[in-house]
Amino acid sequence: MSVPARVLNELFTQKLASAEGKEKMAEYGGSYIRDRLREVAFSRKVLPPEQVTRADCQRSVNHDTLVKIIDIEPKSRALAITFRGQPTARFIRGSRAEVAFYTISSEIFQKTEQELLAYEMPITKIIEENSVKDIQEIEDREFTIHVEASVQALQQEANGGVVTALNKTTVQAGSVVEFSIRKGELARNAATNDGTVRPIQRPDLVNLFKMLDGNRLRSERLLMTEVDWDDILQWTLEDQGDRVQSETTVDGYKYNTLLGRSYIRTIKTDILRPGNVYIFTKPEFFGKFYVLNNTKFYIDKIANMITFQAWEDIAMAVLNIAAVRKLELYSGDATSLDADGVLSGVIPVAEDALGAVNNRVDQGLKFPQISQF
Amino acid sequence: MATVQKVNFEPVTDILPVQRRDFPLADPTLAQPLNSLALVDGEWMTLTSTYKLARAADIATLGTAGAGGRASLKSFPLWAERGRYDVQAIAGTKMPVLFRGDYEFDTRIFDATAVAGSGLAITTVMQWLKVATIALGGRNYVGLVGHGGSADTDPVIGYVSRLPSANGGKLRFLSGGRL
Repeated sequence: MSVPARVLNELFTQKLASAEGKEKMAEYGGSYIRDRLREVAFSRKVLPPEQVTRADCQRSVNHDTLVKIIDIEPKSRALAITFRGQPTARFIRGSRAEVAFYTISSEIFQKTEQELLAYEMPITKIIEENSVKDIQEIEDREFTIHVEASVQALQQEANGGVVTALNKTTVQAGSVVEFSIRKGELARNAATNDGTVRPIQRPDLVNLFKMLDGNRLRSERLLMTEVDWDDILQWTLEDQGDRVQSETTVDGYKYNTLLGRSYIRTIKTDILRPGNVYIFTKPEFFGKFYVLNNTKFYIDKIANMITFQAWEDIAMAVLNIAAVRKLELYSGDATSLDADGVLSGVIPVAEDALGAVNNRVDQGLKFPQISQF
Repeated sequence: MATVQKVNFEPVTDILPVQRRDFPLADPTLAQPLNSLALVDGEWMTLTSTYKLARAADIATLGTAGAGGRASLKSFPLWAERGRYDVQAIAGTKMPVLFRGDYEFDTRIFDATAVAGSGLAITTVMQWLKVATIALGGRNYVGLVGHGGSADTDPVIGYVSRLPSANGGKLRFLSGGRL
């Protein structure tokens, strides 16, 4: 039996009138949130989060924040020697790196009890869902920024420590090394340096895989936007063969791997902007994602004002920056030089610009336009 | 003269009613604790046109030396100790400031003897305070100095509630003032 949304809103208000009710609502909200979060964030598919406790973390003597210190695999090698010779020595030393914790929180949602009665949709439930989405989006935004910083740092190192513009002009002139970032075939042969996203070609992916596979690592997981994925559906008979081509024409591409690699598609094109495709190794070669406190849900009612907030405490770090590579499907420069003025269109939007609405109802744009009186 | 320590800015009143807001730093390198100009808690910040935090006065110019060394806009105190991990971990490097609301805090980031512009040394309880670049322990910070009263056109950010001589070397102040 389905309960009308208006009744849900009223029950919600009544429950908040008692301490027990508040606790129950918070528990309900908390369990609901955790389930959704695991499924949706693309960062969690690339770097599956590990639950840690306070005991796994280190404090600072200077302030009250936490890190987890991670050991990095030490170097070692073998060598061929004669019967009389002896090997070179290595005094063992392993690097360590810190992964720091911070909080991602929803906004503080507030509504009066009386105004809640004006809604026929289950607005409290929708707000809970939205707070999950908000947290998830920020996780992905943080992840994308860290990943982008990693490929740019490696690219800079490969170009003599100098940030070097990577666009069709420098690629064609051979004045830039494409070490961790590569332009797609159509982008490198474009007429101008611009932010137009060209369709992804099969050789683009193969060349992307080679950037990882050629460095004693194995490419495992592709991350791309749904928009770029759609261009794969345009691949021809020559790319796919007649069986996959006919399947794709009817059902779309249904396999779990593409060219032998698993893939993750995202509709969050304001975070991972179209034209940017990343390839990752397995997580153990790449980085860490820790959850110190799973999503907590706070809810309270003071007089007639209902307040909610959700938050989680996480840590996320790319520890091996060589374990990710990038394919750019646009011809313009996306380094910090921003040589072609396209940078703002290819990096994640500002945090406060996330969640823009698609509908235009508040502007009166709906059709037919009805006026009540 | 105050001594900069690990913790330089501590609440005396309830922090819950105060709106604490995180903003990205205009210069994220200032969150690095080894930066010679690293930000410390109790320094005063203002908002840039890109909605980011920047020091409220020119860190290279002492408030006693020129107008650039004194805050001319509304400023907000930083409430994050030097080198905090959470600050460094967030992409864009955000730091929390006390954004709205009234509060009383103890601070070590002040110079009671500095006379910046038309200001006065800090000598009396309920004297107005303003923000200027000060030198403490061999480097500059943007902290509190005495305001000169009606003859001083610099923004007032608060009032002395307890003099350092009666507060273990820390300046206790109440927020509030005028632009």
